[in-house]
Amino acid sequence: MGHGEKGRPSKRHKAKEDHRAEEEEVYYTEDFEDINQDGENKRDFTKLELKPDHANRPLWACADGRIFLETFSPLYKQAYDFLIAIAEPVCRPESMHEYNLTPHSLYAAVSVGLETETVISVLNKLSKTKLPKEMIDFIHASTANYGKVKLVLKKNRYFVESPFPEVLKKLLKDEVISRSRIASEGNDGFTISKSLGEIEGRHEELLNEAQLAAAAEEKEAHAFEVDPAQVENVKQRCLPNALNYPMLEEYDFRNDTVNPDLDMELKPQAQPRPYQEKSLSKMFGNGRARSGIIVLPCGAGKSLVGVSAASRIKKSCLCLATNAVSVDQWAFQFKLWSTIRDDQICRFTSDSKERFRGNAGVVVTTYNMVAFGGKRSEESEKIIEEIRNREWGLLLMDEVHVVPAHMFRKVISITKSHCKLGLTATLVREDERITDLNFLIGPKLYEANWLDLVKGGFIANVQCAEVWCPMTKEFFAEYLRKENSKKKQALYVMNPNKFRACEFLIRFHEEQRRDKIIVFADNLFALIEYAKKLKKPMIYGATSHVERTKILEAFKTSRDVNTVFLSKVGDNSIDIPEANVIIQISSHAGSRRQEAQRLGRILRAKGRLQDRMAGGKEEYNAFFYSLVSTDTQEMYYSTKRQQFLIDQGYSFKVITGLPPPDTGAELSYYSLDEQNKLLTKVLTAGDDQVGLEILDEDTDDVALQKARRSMGSMSYMSGANGKIYMEYNTGRNKGQMRSKPKDPTKRHQLFKKRFV
Amino acid sequence: MPEVRIIAKNFMDMVASLPATKLDNLYHNAFICEAILRSLPPLAKKYVLQMLYIIEPIVTTSMEAWVAAEGMSKHRVAIDKLVQLRLFTETVDRKRETTYRLNPTFQKNLQNHILHGGVLPREPMKINVRLPSSADLDAYASGQWESFLLHLISSTEAEATRNISSSMMKIFQRGLLSQRDREAPMLTESGFQFLLMDTNAQLWYVIREYITHCEERGVDTSDLISFLLELSFHVSGEAYNMNTLSHSQGSIVKDLADLGLVKLQQGMKESWFIPTKLAINLSISLSDASSRKQGYVVVETNFRLYAYTTSKLHCEILRLFARIEYQLPNLIVGAITKENLYKAFQNGITSDQIICFLQQNAHPRVAEKVPSVPENVTDQIRLWESDLNRVEMTPSHLYDEFPSRDAFEAACDFAREYGGLLWEDSVKMRVIVKAETYDHMKRFLRQK
Repeated sequence: MGHGEKGRPSKRHKAKEDHRAEEEEVYYTEDFEDINQDGENKRDFTKLELKPDHANRPLWACADGRIFLETFSPLYKQAYDFLIAIAEPVCRPESMHEYNLTPHSLYAAVSVGLETETVISVLNKLSKTKLPKEMIDFIHASTANYGKVKLVLKKNRYFVESPFPEVLKKLLKDEVISRSRIASEGNDGFTISKSLGEIEGRHEELLNEAQLAAAAEEKEAHAFEVDPAQVENVKQRCLPNALNYPMLEEYDFRNDTVNPDLDMELKPQAQPRPYQEKSLSKMFGNGRARSGIIVLPCGAGKSLVGVSAASRIKKSCLCLATNAVSVDQWAFQFKLWSTIRDDQICRFTSDSKERFRGNAGVVVTTYNMVAFGGKRSEESEKIIEEIRNREWGLLLMDEVHVVPAHMFRKVISITKSHCKLGLTATLVREDERITDLNFLIGPKLYEANWLDLVKGGFIANVQCAEVWCPMTKEFFAEYLRKENSKKKQALYVMNPNKFRACEFLIRFHEEQRRDKIIVFADNLFALIEYAKKLKKPMIYGATSHVERTKILEAFKTSRDVNTVFLSKVGDNSIDIPEANVIIQISSHAGSRRQEAQRLGRILRAKGRLQDRMAGGKEEYNAFFYSLVSTDTQEMYYSTKRQQFLIDQGYSFKVITGLPPPDTGAELSYYSLDEQNKLLTKVLTAGDDQVGLEILDEDTDDVALQKARRSMGSMSYMSGANGKIYMEYNTGRNKGQMRSKPKDPTKRHQLFKKRFV
Repeated sequence: MPEVRIIAKNFMDMVASLPATKLDNLYHNAFICEAILRSLPPLAKKYVLQMLYIIEPIVTTSMEAWVAAEGMSKHRVAIDKLVQLRLFTETVDRKRETTYRLNPTFQKNLQNHILHGGVLPREPMKINVRLPSSADLDAYASGQWESFLLHLISSTEAEATRNISSSMMKIFQRGLLSQRDREAPMLTESGFQFLLMDTNAQLWYVIREYITHCEERGVDTSDLISFLLELSFHVSGEAYNMNTLSHSQGSIVKDLADLGLVKLQQGMKESWFIPTKLAINLSISLSDASSRKQGYVVVETNFRLYAYTTSKLHCEILRLFARIEYQLPNLIVGAITKENLYKAFQNGITSDQIICFLQQNAHPRVAEKVPSVPENVTDQIRLWESDLNRVEMTPSHLYDEFPSRDAFEAACDFAREYGGLLWEDSVKMRVIVKAETYDHMKRFLRQK
């Protein structure tokens, strides 16, 4: 069971300094695994007993946790909502979805209020076959401990709450916990209260039976109080590696009389879409606010979800973003969607150190600003102190997938918050980091299906294409030489055929369709060469905030600036809603997440809804081209990169023969002479010059200055702890079962039991 | 690229290829006349009916007047077909004009048929036994047929399930399996292609092999063909007494039972045979889409493949080019991968055959979609195939150890002149020349 989550190379604990080497290794391991899994991975479940009315039921469930869902079933919508709550989606194309039941996904299910028996009985109802016994056992085993204990912050007192007094007794046997307990009135018993179960049951329409009604009944909750200073320790003890009763955190914000209310409402024009509503309902399912993660594709309106959550809780809110540009954008979103007054919201970045007035408000800042450990300016120190001392109603965290766990730990330990909401578009990894997210923030509350959003016209329908550019003879010869191993990337990116294809596409979209185009290049050398040769503006790490803003403004408003070249600074959070074409000329090895993030730049739906719907006149209004040089590493990476999007139901059309053979000197590098000059240029450039651009986490206080100081030389710009994309190979999104077991000591508690 | 050797020929093509005397013989049988008429292209059918009561030969020019200018090509195809089948006899009259008239035997038989109506080749028996329902019969037929096909893929597995006389099996599988001494029989290239064809095409292939086999044993093929065609005029599900058959026909029926064309049953005194759909379909032309079975395969844009089937055979067929990952009671889940496709290509299956198979067997849910198989998948399958064909082999010879630079350069120039120069290395004085210029080169070098 739970095979979906293994086969990850155990390289991740290596020192952070040497990421490039690390990645190399990771890919070699993947290679190895690909060979390993070549054999037939047949799983024979033909013995399962089909129910007589199986045609009316939408899914098959296998003993190993895999679930197949027919999307054309009349019960699809209900089944989807249910499955997304209890299982991890593996792939969701048009006709058939695949899901995996994992301990994590069941943890998430339990934490949104589904109980073991409900999960089993609903699954059994939807299944075409009798449920395999193994699966029932697995659900029992996985959910035995989860969701039994809650940590509730009521009137600023922390309570450990559970409907099962025996569980509380068990917890209290632990020394740390019993010491943290604040005994109530010298009485050894637990406080007993009536707590409301699920009210907004979302599965009733499907079930309309007693099972769920039970969940909505009032239940007795037993509780004991713990010392606020010891809360973190108590939580630690409850994690799976200790007592294994991970605590759910819920915030009874309506009864919080200690923290001042923030007067903010959603503006009337802010109408959450059905899926946004659904994700919010998972968060506020029982009248309290649950901590957790909401996964929505880029452009699907994550910020509205965040702002809605904040306006529902109506307490002070700390909003964390990845960089200064997106801090501005978040502040803007708050003002756009809610009635918050300007003096109630403030930005805290290296450039702007505002403070809100009054006793409640919203602070928008970056992870780095909060987690930064070095010396700060006096002013920043003061603001940080305020952030540290305040009790936040909501900690809103954007792009949670890019922030490393250690930074999360730090941020979460620094700030005191009642409820944490993580937002992301691509929860692609199921490695320790995701596990960390699960327990640091909370389980995944909701994940939208990309294709359904496309069909609903909520995000753009993107035509994805992989353009095959054959290497020219001369470039390929150099590519194959051992001495050029460090220049391989530069050689396949600067491949003249690729350049010509790129130029052709830019011209086509600028002139024929009047589109707005973003060209992405990770390779800085290539970025600069391309942009200069084609006379287009570019933004990369060293571009100052002022210049960035200027270029982006021109791109938005000017009719003459229709193409902009971006290095990977543009991957996340730079909001360019005008763009509808992406051309990717170089990328970060096999990063599935980067591919998805880049696609996200053009997902924001444009034009009128009816035009965008299937069959409308603009069925495809967004284009994503990935240019790859054939027969090079890039081909291999390209396949890897697309995996996530393919699993979401996107398809990449392969285009060969671009530019058309009849194009000649009107595109650059037509003559062999020009091509050879380019080749010489690539070959004579320093190895460090043609390598990858390595960015700092953020252009923050410190980092920005570092970058400014080192403007002179590109190789210096990198900054030492540039982490950004680390891609782990996990079996999860591969759709196949890999059989390589991972190091048992690092395994999740539940897996440990199952893999002896 | 391997050539597609199996062409899905239809029965009528086979009939047309019979020698003239045999063909004329066939037309004495009224059922054959009817079957032939049914199989004709619409225009040819019309000409036959038009000329059914005309005894005089008709000149081509007046026939050409029947058709509009844009229909001429169809007209020619129809005439060709009719001449090929010897339904039209071609003569040149005194005025040196080509004339046509209908084959007299054929004409007479058909006239009779029209006047007196069709008669069944033999009357169904009246027996008190409950005969198998049509659903049972269908299940029997497809079961026999599948086990025959399964036998092809894995001889051991099928052996256990059903007992087909192994000598017959060998005949049916001729050309599909190859066996080297002591090794287990292997599917040939044609064998792999055969598995991807639809049932009708497969049936024809096997029947043709059977006919060839009988011919080799000295059985008159026209008798055999006429009996096979006759069989298709029986009523499916009815019982026919075995004693109405000649000795040779009786043994044919027994052979065909192995394939599921007929079901044999025995009562207290008598024994009888019941034709199944497979036998009735014998005379249906291949292009007839109505005979096609319902599809069961869904291919997704992420190369995953879902097959709604319980059939072991389907599973084995899919395994030819896909990795099977899950087998559920009524669903097979797999993925089309590069590795599996390469294996298929090596076995001589082409990308077009795979794509065609996927399209023809598309599940009704996706069958109406255009395209029924996602474009990116079909593109990729083709690209993977063409990727394998990028290296071109040219037989050639390497020449080195030239005595002098002059000799080397002269040799290069000579080869270049003949268009045979493939590669030269002037430093080490080596040259590669195409094999077809070998003789010229030899003469040239000897002269030097």
